[in-house]
Amino acid sequence: QEDFCSALDHSNSFLSGSMDDVINEDELPFSRKKLSLDKEEEEIGDIELGITVTARCHFSLLLTPSYIVQAWVVDIPVQKHIASMLKWLKCSELDIEALSHLKRIRRQGETSTLLLGVTLQPPILPSDVALGIPYQLPVPCNPALTQTSLHLKNTFWPTVLAPRRKWEPEKWTRRKLKWAHDAVNALKKECHEVASSGELPIVAYVPKPYDDENDLSQSFIAHDTRTSTRHPLRHAALNVIRKVADFRVTEPTSPREDGSVQTQNGTQYLLTGLTLFITHEPCIMCSMALLHSRVKEVFYLYPMPKTGGCGGAACIPALKGVNHRFTIAVWKGECDAGEDDIFPLAFEIDA
Amino acid sequence: MADDHHLVLGSDRSDADSVHVNWMRVAMTMAEEALSAGEVPVGCVFVRNGEAIAKARNRTNELHNASRHAELEAVDLILANDDHHHDGELPTPSNRYPLSDTTLYVTVEPCIMCASALRQLGIKQVFYGCENDKFGGCGSVLGVNAPSEHPVHPAYNAIGGFLREEAIMILRRFYVTQNTNAPVPRQKGTRVLKTEILSRANSS
Repeated sequence: QEDFCSALDHSNSFLSGSMDDVINEDELPFSRKKLSLDKEEEEIGDIELGITVTARCHFSLLLTPSYIVQAWVVDIPVQKHIASMLKWLKCSELDIEALSHLKRIRRQGETSTLLLGVTLQPPILPSDVALGIPYQLPVPCNPALTQTSLHLKNTFWPTVLAPRRKWEPEKWTRRKLKWAHDAVNALKKECHEVASSGELPIVAYVPKPYDDENDLSQSFIAHDTRTSTRHPLRHAALNVIRKVADFRVTEPTSPREDGSVQTQNGTQYLLTGLTLFITHEPCIMCSMALLHSRVKEVFYLYPMPKTGGCGGAACIPALKGVNHRFTIAVWKGECDAGEDDIFPLAFEIDA
Repeated sequence: MADDHHLVLGSDRSDADSVHVNWMRVAMTMAEEALSAGEVPVGCVFVRNGEAIAKARNRTNELHNASRHAELEAVDLILANDDHHHDGELPTPSNRYPLSDTTLYVTVEPCIMCASALRQLGIKQVFYGCENDKFGGCGSVLGVNAPSEHPVHPAYNAIGGFLREEAIMILRRFYVTQNTNAPVPRQKGTRVLKTEILSRANSS
């Protein structure tokens, strides 16, 4: 295996040089997909209209109709009822995550107003508290990402400021690149063996993590077995997830070098902190299984535009509402690899 | 969600629906079993020709494997028992799509993973209890069952609203307790079991 890898390494000049060098982004042999999550309406506004805090009318056009929503609110005339109304709200169906970017109470002069919710009908209020009649106001759909946006959104309803950290691609040293390159070579080697066995040539590999081998003390590789098992769901990614799970069931905790012991919660959970390398972009089922498993990142060699769940037919970690995100990267230059080329799949296959 | 493939029952239920409710009660017994085992309480039953061919429930915590949802557990039981494989035969609809004559009853809308798995297996149709706002693959988060195109796999109908309130309440009973297997548990000591349920039309 050493010969095999070193022969391949030889053709990759980026692997020669000091192991500690940081490799330039455009020289990396893979491209990271940018997950386009919710649209950043503030940036659109800042750039296209050059708006300022005073330009609410422009902004409100920009916010209508997709960035604001009609919400039910009610005035609370007596200050001391605010606390009891907030308590009532906590125990009602109205206390939903989707409104957590808005303050619940708006104070304007002597008037306090309570945000109730975005239901079609006005909510039923407790009858033993003196309140006004519920009415509707437009409120922002999303938290404010910038101070400018905060001022603008506050003119509708008090909004939470949740600045997003600027996305900076992780720095890759040559040593880490070698780790990834070895993983891709392991995939290819297995893929050649699998292809001659009559199975679909799809291979998934979870190597020992680069950063902390204590997270997973050995590497796991699995290939697609839907043909031999006659089970249409025995995909490479699900198979390797099962291998890692079975291993972590038998060794749920391991003492670490610093003497501390991993608990069941945290880093040893499923694929937390781990990287999956796979020959073909995983299908929607496998992409969601990887999201459920809290995988850290997924590298694939071949996109599957019609069936893939990591940017092909859908982009599962970019969906609104899912509770985990993972990085997606596509290994470049596979088509140049000549006879080392791995096996392409028919477009309708779910990898 | 306005298309024919993602339907939600209204309040007027016909007698024909009582068959579905009865199967959903079977699925609910599996959800109860999951709850007693400390698992997220989701249960299901697969029905073929009026008979249950597999019942299962969530086993993700026990197996440390987040892909072991009720539906996939049951599918493994079915494919282990099924005699749909015959050496040397050309593929037919029933062995290419082993669930093409099978209906699923599941207490919660299948997640995106399971919805895709069911499509790959050619499921006939799906009835579910409550919608799944975080992961639902039959319209709530992504329409894997029908609106999404797939080059070959047939679409299927997924109809919600059967024993919906029971499905929601059993999930709430689970979530007021600590899920010790989830990563970084939140403090839930102050959680209160809510009992009011908004109708789907009024919820956001």
